[in-house]
Amino acid sequence: MKVKQGILIEELLHITDKAKATAVSFKELSEKELNAKKDPAQWSILECLEHLNLYGDFYLPEMEKQLLRGENINKDAVFKSGIIGNYFANLMKVDNGKMKKMKSPKDKDPANSKLSVLVIDRFLKQADKLKQLLNLGRTVDLSKTKVSISLTKLIKLRLGDTFRFYVYHIERHLLQAQKNVKPGQNEEQSRLHEPMRRIG
Amino acid sequence: MPGMLTSNFTQKLLLFFETNARKKVIQKGEFLTREGDIERNLYLVESGAVRMFYLSEFDEHIIRFGYEGSLINSLSSFISEKPSEFFIEAIRKTTVKEISKADLVKLRNESDENLRQYIELLESLVTQQIDREIDLLITSPTQRLKRVLDRSPNLFQHIPLKYIASYLRMKPETLSRIRNS
Repeated sequence: MKVKQGILIEELLHITDKAKATAVSFKELSEKELNAKKDPAQWSILECLEHLNLYGDFYLPEMEKQLLRGENINKDAVFKSGIIGNYFANLMKVDNGKMKKMKSPKDKDPANSKLSVLVIDRFLKQADKLKQLLNLGRTVDLSKTKVSISLTKLIKLRLGDTFRFYVYHIERHLLQAQKNVKPGQNEEQSRLHEPMRRIG
Repeated sequence: MPGMLTSNFTQKLLLFFETNARKKVIQKGEFLTREGDIERNLYLVESGAVRMFYLSEFDEHIIRFGYEGSLINSLSSFISEKPSEFFIEAIRKTTVKEISKADLVKLRNESDENLRQYIELLESLVTQQIDREIDLLITSPTQRLKRVLDRSPNLFQHIPLKYIASYLRMKPETLSRIRNS
């Protein structure tokens, strides 16, 4: 997959903004609603967000570290996906509201931890941090700069793919979280679902 | 932190709390103040305990506690009237008395003596802040604990260990180990 860096970053920023708006809307719900789940095997809204927070705890510092060491490049330079990176990114993609079912790694499983509404505030802070990194990333070589994945340091993805994988992952879990919201509540949210023009 | 001056102003303030303050009960996990709120009150903790913390992307950093006898609020917001950067959350069911900034300003302006003692109170607060700044520069966990216990000997009676560990910026396991040594 090939795309101009500036354009890729815009797409990812747009998805992040939508995710933020959804999370903000969750703040209207009661603690009970935030912890509710349609069936025991699913995750509640807070569990979805805390899962994302746990990923952020690893990826945000990692991405920032590599970003600050990366080479400068023009924002019109073309980003080229790596094979593994593209695979991971596509795995996460949401297509017309449909997602592939997947199991999460054990250390990123938030189920059964006691969760408070602060999870949402922390998510929003991480989202702002992510936006800061994405903006910095416009003019850093996203193909040459590499970031380890959380599972093992032995596999490194191109930063552009890490950004994609990371942001699509957020989109995916926010969609999952939204399924817990009763229809009729927060009507705005259904419009946030509109499929986006997808790159690659 | 408890350990207040027993100046007349403090006594007057406490009396004011006694006679004019509104009572408020909050459950564990409820907030007196949230980040982004403008702090308009000063609280006196009657029973229970609260923690004041800064939420970063990665952690909740506790900077202060309030328990029986403490005066607490998000002071920078209270003074500047800008949004609070801190949360104040009850760590168990807590009863507080609250007065407004207007009440406090009226009380402190009532006499020259009140104003003078209010300044003394602020000076003491500033000194405590500087002590806290030094806390954070000290590398030895044992020494950090000692400094805090010197200021608040009863801390462990009011606050669970995991929160004290956060305040001291160490792992709960480390704090346990130091205490038992």
